[in-house]
Amino acid sequence: MNGKLNDSVKKALELVDKKNLDGDVFGIKERNISYSIEKGELAESSEYEDLGLGIRVIKDGKIGFGYCTPGKEEKGVRRAEELSTLSQELELKLPREEDVSEPKIFDKKVEESSLEGKGAEFTQQVIDGAKDLKDDIMPTRGGLSISIGHKVIGNTRGVFLKQKNSAVSTGVLATIPRDETSINASESRFSRKMDLDFTDIGKSAAEKVDSLREGSELPEGDVPVVINPDAFGMLMWFGIVPAINGENIRKGKSVYEGRMGEKVASEELLMKDDPTMDWGVGSGPFDDEGVPSRKVPIIEDGTLAHFIYDLKEAIKSDTESTGNGLRGGFKNPPDISDRNIILRGEGKKKEKLLPDKGILVDGVMGAHTLNPASGDFSVVGTPAWLVEDGEIKGKVEGAMISGNLPDALETTELADDYKKFHASLGSREIKMDLPSARFNSVTVSGK
Amino acid sequence: MSLKDIIDYVRDEGATYCDIRKERWDTTSLTLKDGEMEKVTSGSEEGAMVRVLYKNGWGNVGTSDLSELKNAAERALAMAKNSDKYKEEKTGMADVETHEEKVEMPMEDNFLDISTEEKVSFLKDLEKHLDKGFVRSTELRYIDRLVDKEIATSDGTHVEMRIPRIVTYMIITGKSDTIQRSSEGIGGTGGYELTERAYEKKDIVLDRLETLLEAETPPSGKMSLIMDPHLTGVFSHEAFGHAAESDLVSTGNSCLEGKIGDKVASDIVTINDDPTMEGYGSFPFDDEGTKARSRTLVKDGILNDFILDRENAWKLDMEPNGGARAEDFRVKPLVRMSNTIMEPGDMEFDELIEEVDKGVYAKSSGGGQVNTGEGTFQFNAQEAYLIKDGEIDKPLRDVSFNGFTLRTLQNITGITKELDTGIGHCGKGQTAAVTDGGSNVLISEVTVGGRE
Repeated sequence: MNGKLNDSVKKALELVDKKNLDGDVFGIKERNISYSIEKGELAESSEYEDLGLGIRVIKDGKIGFGYCTPGKEEKGVRRAEELSTLSQELELKLPREEDVSEPKIFDKKVEESSLEGKGAEFTQQVIDGAKDLKDDIMPTRGGLSISIGHKVIGNTRGVFLKQKNSAVSTGVLATIPRDETSINASESRFSRKMDLDFTDIGKSAAEKVDSLREGSELPEGDVPVVINPDAFGMLMWFGIVPAINGENIRKGKSVYEGRMGEKVASEELLMKDDPTMDWGVGSGPFDDEGVPSRKVPIIEDGTLAHFIYDLKEAIKSDTESTGNGLRGGFKNPPDISDRNIILRGEGKKKEKLLPDKGILVDGVMGAHTLNPASGDFSVVGTPAWLVEDGEIKGKVEGAMISGNLPDALETTELADDYKKFHASLGSREIKMDLPSARFNSVTVSGK
Repeated sequence: MSLKDIIDYVRDEGATYCDIRKERWDTTSLTLKDGEMEKVTSGSEEGAMVRVLYKNGWGNVGTSDLSELKNAAERALAMAKNSDKYKEEKTGMADVETHEEKVEMPMEDNFLDISTEEKVSFLKDLEKHLDKGFVRSTELRYIDRLVDKEIATSDGTHVEMRIPRIVTYMIITGKSDTIQRSSEGIGGTGGYELTERAYEKKDIVLDRLETLLEAETPPSGKMSLIMDPHLTGVFSHEAFGHAAESDLVSTGNSCLEGKIGDKVASDIVTINDDPTMEGYGSFPFDDEGTKARSRTLVKDGILNDFILDRENAWKLDMEPNGGARAEDFRVKPLVRMSNTIMEPGDMEFDELIEEVDKGVYAKSSGGGQVNTGEGTFQFNAQEAYLIKDGEIDKPLRDVSFNGFTLRTLQNITGITKELDTGIGHCGKGQTAAVTDGGSNVLISEVTVGGRE
């Protein structure tokens, strides 16, 4: 089935080789089937198959990049070679062949479901789960997607690696209509294997919106904020992930510059990038430059331990690639990227994190407006609930949560409700495994 | 087989409606970071999206293999038939005038005729202008994209169009007691001539960074807010425009549902979305082949229109107005904005400021997000100043504000005369090039989020 992709990568590599140039060729093939939910019904089915090559050529120490579809390899290689004359000179060391770990990332059952068109049934289960709780709750939007992906990377130093992955993701927005404006809440989940409980996903969104009917007064000031995994993941990705990027460290654009070995988070916090774990959201045997995957400890016992690098930055920073070169599709050259961020802490029960007075937040609006250089943020927690005496009360509106994320991390407590979190942002993806967290040093305003 | 032959074939097999959008993209992308040409990229891709409606169910298939188009159409029909089994609510496509036309959007200076060397030289020259003591790091990006589209529908429309888009980004970073950054994107639909505009904006980016390095964290709570033209544009797009997208309206996800003809904003507010004006979000036909036209969404505070594709126009019993846009051939079109403008008013800036005892003057967007169903929004300004007793006071950094869309639109009490626009990329599961614009606008009350 993937003969076309493999042949095309090999052909492009031979063309690079014939020119006595160094280089690598990255091929991608992805088949995605999706189903959309509109107003309580399955509205449509969509499918796309993507196929393409990214060609990186190194000529006289300079790197050029071109991309093309199979059959157009000659043009792609020629373009990459021509453009190489314009780039900076850098002795990029492409990896040589070595053993790679093989984390589990492909489930045959996902592929079978995709081929048998079972996604429509699964989508209906999500819809029914959301509809069945109360008569006035409607899953107004949402969808489910099943994808099978193939990646191939080969280079002129003998590397030729292949991987196949599967993924199922679904999300639904449950809505209660009101006279003026509606109230809504969403639930989304992701898995690389066929283990999601689709009915429960719909039910969970419905239960969330059902709990928002009654309002409570927003507590203001420096009150604790407990934040669910998805929202915590969004803040961490926009606020901390840029700070561990090796290039930002070298250029002084990270709050963690010069702080290696220092305590930067609460005592028990562990943050690592681990693409070697089975069924991880961003797991895989190698990165998009053919560097074998490895575990990268970033914060251990609250202490800053490592940053992440791709091949190019490794040379500039005089270190080794950590296997963090990703491309975000075949059209982009590799860039430093997190692979599969794992966050762990004390592992307390979430109920134990609920404060005497504070708020519980399920989602945040504006995580992308966080200042990636300083980590300062001011986002709206929504939906959010008042917490009093450790109990979740009514909905609070307009809860603006402000603070500095690296500072807040120093006193953050983590729960044990671990969730695999995935979100797509253009060509970039958030891939994490993390629990709920309690921020103890942020400000809430907005009454 | 021609697109028409494939469409005829699918219709003969029972399809209610079918359209095919074939695209070719040619892109050059350059990144200059701190004096080094980090990325020099060029490539082409092509593919097509086939959409089939069977009774009330849709099937959409995107493929990069143009030799397999008939097969893609067969799969789309099978998927549409399967979708129909699950669908009870009726659907359809509102009628539009059909067109057979070929349109090429103009480039004064064709970027395909400019060598990559010259484009690299442009970035290097621009970088020299950003070389100031307080700038620690610079990142400049140049992207040009030429898109050729051919759209055929089972109603008889067959249009071909060529859309050139070009954009330059300037991102600079500096450090004082905190690290701050300032960025600006400059571009539009057109040719290489648009790169000149980057030079006009360089001082804005520099001045902003210098100010931010001295700025303080903002106060929090409810207060007055003056938005500059760029932020007004982004506010009009995010807080209001998304709620006016008919796919959200027809599925119960918009606070504007059922409000056509109602007063939704103060009398001085008029908002247009116009793909036919000069802008980054311009196009001659939308991605269903409907001719582009200007839409007046709000007229003197009254909700006047939605942004409508053909299906949602059918559902809402309204007239389609060219609101369907797709990111590329892999995906079906969604209802999207184009160039969204809040029309200028009649006040001078000084008059606006004088009306504020305590508030914030916020400039240039740092991004925003909206919940269209609940009618709430959050925004971030790149640059801001405290306003005290009718005068601009100290600079502020990391200013965000939030509120309720309908309440906030009613709270607009002043709009100045000048109009300015900015460009951006709107995300709604797919990316779309857009222009947003307006004037300086006074909102009597919003919630500002701060740490004091």
